[in-house]
Amino acid sequence: MADQVDSMSDAELRTKLAEHGFPIMPITASTRKLLVKKLKLVLDNKSKPRASVDNKADTRRSLARYSSGEESDLDTTANAKEKRGRRATTGGAMLPPAANKARRPPPKKGSPAKRDSDKGSESDEEKPVRTHEEVETVTTRTIKRTYAANDADDYETGSDSDVDADKKTSSPFRSNSRSSDYISSTLPNVDVNISPPKTSVFSRASIIPTNYSSTYSSSMTSSDNLNSIRSRLGLTSSLADRPTSNYTSNYSTSTYQPSTSTIDEVESPYLSNFTRRLSALKSDPPKPASSFLDRDANNGSTVLPRRSYITGVNRSDIVDYKSATDKKFLKNNLVSLALVVLVALFFFCLFFMYIVKKNDITSVVDDQNSVIPICQLNIPGNRPGINCVPKEQVSYAKDLLKVIHPELTSRIASYKCGQVGTLPYLTEREIIDIASAKADTHDVSQCRTDLNNLQVLLINNPRWGLNVVQLKNLYTKDVEYSPIASTDLIVQQRTKGTVAITLSDPSTPLSCLFVNTLYSAGSSLIVVALLTLLGLGLQRAYKYYVMYQKRKSEEIYSMVEQIIDVISQETEDSGEPYISVDHVRDTLISPQNREKMASVWDAAVKFIQRNESRVRMEVQSVDGEDCRVWRWISAHSSPKRSASWQGQAFETQEGSVNNLVVSPTPCLKIRHMFDKNDDNPLLRVKIQDAILEKCDTHCNILHIDIDRTSCCVYVKCASPGDAGVVYRSLHGWWYEGRLITVKYLRLERYMQRFPTSPSTGPYLTLTRHSRRGLWPDE
Amino acid sequence: MSSTSQKHRNFVAEPMGEKPVTELAGVGEVLGKRLETAGFDKAYTVLGQFLVLKKDKELFQEWLKDTCNANSKQSADCYQCLKDWCDEFL
Repeated sequence: MADQVDSMSDAELRTKLAEHGFPIMPITASTRKLLVKKLKLVLDNKSKPRASVDNKADTRRSLARYSSGEESDLDTTANAKEKRGRRATTGGAMLPPAANKARRPPPKKGSPAKRDSDKGSESDEEKPVRTHEEVETVTTRTIKRTYAANDADDYETGSDSDVDADKKTSSPFRSNSRSSDYISSTLPNVDVNISPPKTSVFSRASIIPTNYSSTYSSSMTSSDNLNSIRSRLGLTSSLADRPTSNYTSNYSTSTYQPSTSTIDEVESPYLSNFTRRLSALKSDPPKPASSFLDRDANNGSTVLPRRSYITGVNRSDIVDYKSATDKKFLKNNLVSLALVVLVALFFFCLFFMYIVKKNDITSVVDDQNSVIPICQLNIPGNRPGINCVPKEQVSYAKDLLKVIHPELTSRIASYKCGQVGTLPYLTEREIIDIASAKADTHDVSQCRTDLNNLQVLLINNPRWGLNVVQLKNLYTKDVEYSPIASTDLIVQQRTKGTVAITLSDPSTPLSCLFVNTLYSAGSSLIVVALLTLLGLGLQRAYKYYVMYQKRKSEEIYSMVEQIIDVISQETEDSGEPYISVDHVRDTLISPQNREKMASVWDAAVKFIQRNESRVRMEVQSVDGEDCRVWRWISAHSSPKRSASWQGQAFETQEGSVNNLVVSPTPCLKIRHMFDKNDDNPLLRVKIQDAILEKCDTHCNILHIDIDRTSCCVYVKCASPGDAGVVYRSLHGWWYEGRLITVKYLRLERYMQRFPTSPSTGPYLTLTRHSRRGLWPDE
Repeated sequence: MSSTSQKHRNFVAEPMGEKPVTELAGVGEVLGKRLETAGFDKAYTVLGQFLVLKKDKELFQEWLKDTCNANSKQSADCYQCLKDWCDEFL
């Protein structure tokens, strides 16, 4: 098989793979190796179990052929066809026959043995044959074979032994890898032979005589054998009534070639069978049974349609296979099954004995080994009913025991079962009541005597399974008692009426045990279930809580976002820097939702107050009414921290090194407030506003001007004090990325430069633009 | 596969272009050399083989095992890498 796969063409490989359920994929130089390996693996896996079965089926068929002479025609025809079908697939794998011949030295002894195992061994249904025996047992086997030939039905009941024998044969014919060689070696011959449909049959038939005659005549002397062979020869040669000289010559030249053809049939590889069955099933699914019948009915007729025949054969394959596997299973597992059954029986017996023994008080009591202290008059210490029993009263006492025992048992059972109000013992009074009721006598004294005797007996026979006990407290329902071990104690307790009888090892009845177990299991189950439910509930609640929190916070966040949107929008649109809180709420939340959303709103307001830097809450009077407002503090609208003034580089407050204590002049010169190439026409106004904004209202500035060439700003204040304020406000500040330095300027120099500058008010104020915080984008 | 290697992510992140075969996840220097001697010098040749095998995991891993003696982890990595690449770019 494996060799075959190696030498398949790409197309064949693809077909094979498809048959085995592989996805069809391109077979290239690089994938071919892999796919071949895969196919081999699959074939190996599948052919191992199948091959043996096929072998069996095929060999069976060959047996049938032999037994019912004419049928062999059909079978071998089919085989020839099979072969032909196979040759089509293995065409590429053909090896030169010469090489094969050379490879296989024909062992003279081997080939008949082999033949036996192929065809003969199948007839040994009742006799599993080991290979090494085969040669020696040829005689019997041949006889058997003839017997089998008469009994064609036998092949259906084939045992596994034939497979075993097949497998164990050491003959080289058996090895799988070789078989393909043989196939190919026979192929040319078959090629010649197939033109008439039956030729392969003839080839087979004609081989057998040659082979057998040569081998048997050399190895056997038994006339029996010879006879049987003769008869066989006659049979087969009658079949082979049309062999041409061509074929016979073929076979006479190489004696083992014919046998290879049988091998081919016997070991017809799994794959080709499989594919054929597949196609047969596909094309002809119905009535396999009928075709099977057909085959039986037409035993020997050569004109069966090919397809139905094939199905028939395949069908028999399946049947064989099934029955064989069933048998195999049984055989393999017989011991283990038997063991299991034995163990089960053992335990069942044990259980049964236990049950029987438990309830059988009578047998225990009447046991000869019981210790019965008989009162004898000549012993002085004997007192009837106390430490001995009068002989004639022993049986009464035993009867009494038998009467009360079932009652006691049922009592203990019901006690064990947890019935309220029952006690696990019988007091003397109860026993006497029961006894008198049972006996229909009112002779209480007699009962009393019996009971006394019984107590003596029980104490003497602890193995009866009953105890005489002393009750701890008679009038409560507690079941406390201690066993009494001596007869003297009984006498003491008897007067108190606290003596009772109980079972020493009470057994709980099975049903009760079951119910009890159920109860305890049920209660624990309920507890577990409750706990589980509780846990689940808690988990659910926690989950819900977390979900709720999440939803709430999401609502709050969305609310906050909406609020901020509204604030920024409204403040921009209206020009007012703030907006009333209530107004925002009324904008966002519709009237019907306001009550409901109150908590969300409050949370959002709180959140904004705490976490929102762009919005500041303050109280403003809007239309004459103080209310909370949100002021939108966007970066550019902040009056104090405009984009221009970016922070202080060094300290200019009082006490610092950069601060002059006294301002010498009212005039200042400010450097680096603008660039040389800053050609903004409104630069002067802008600078003026920036300075005024920075200094706020703390100072009075008379005049501000700029000198574009030297990039200086000149400021004239109303007084030197004002100049000091400006100085401290501006000196050392970053303005639009530049560090500003301020110097005092003498007034006369200032007047020299700006002769027209005013010396008295009005003071400069912020232009309208800057007061609204809406500078044209500088 | 809980997480993928950096190499895997790098490979899957972009078209493979002319990347050498060693850029594939699971293919290191040794396997790369073996693959090169087998004629698979670029990642796209391995991709070609991967595609010829119809993205069949078993067959591709088997092939890689045969070709460059990769162990099962390496072949699984390489397979995953190519598969993810294909999912992304093919």
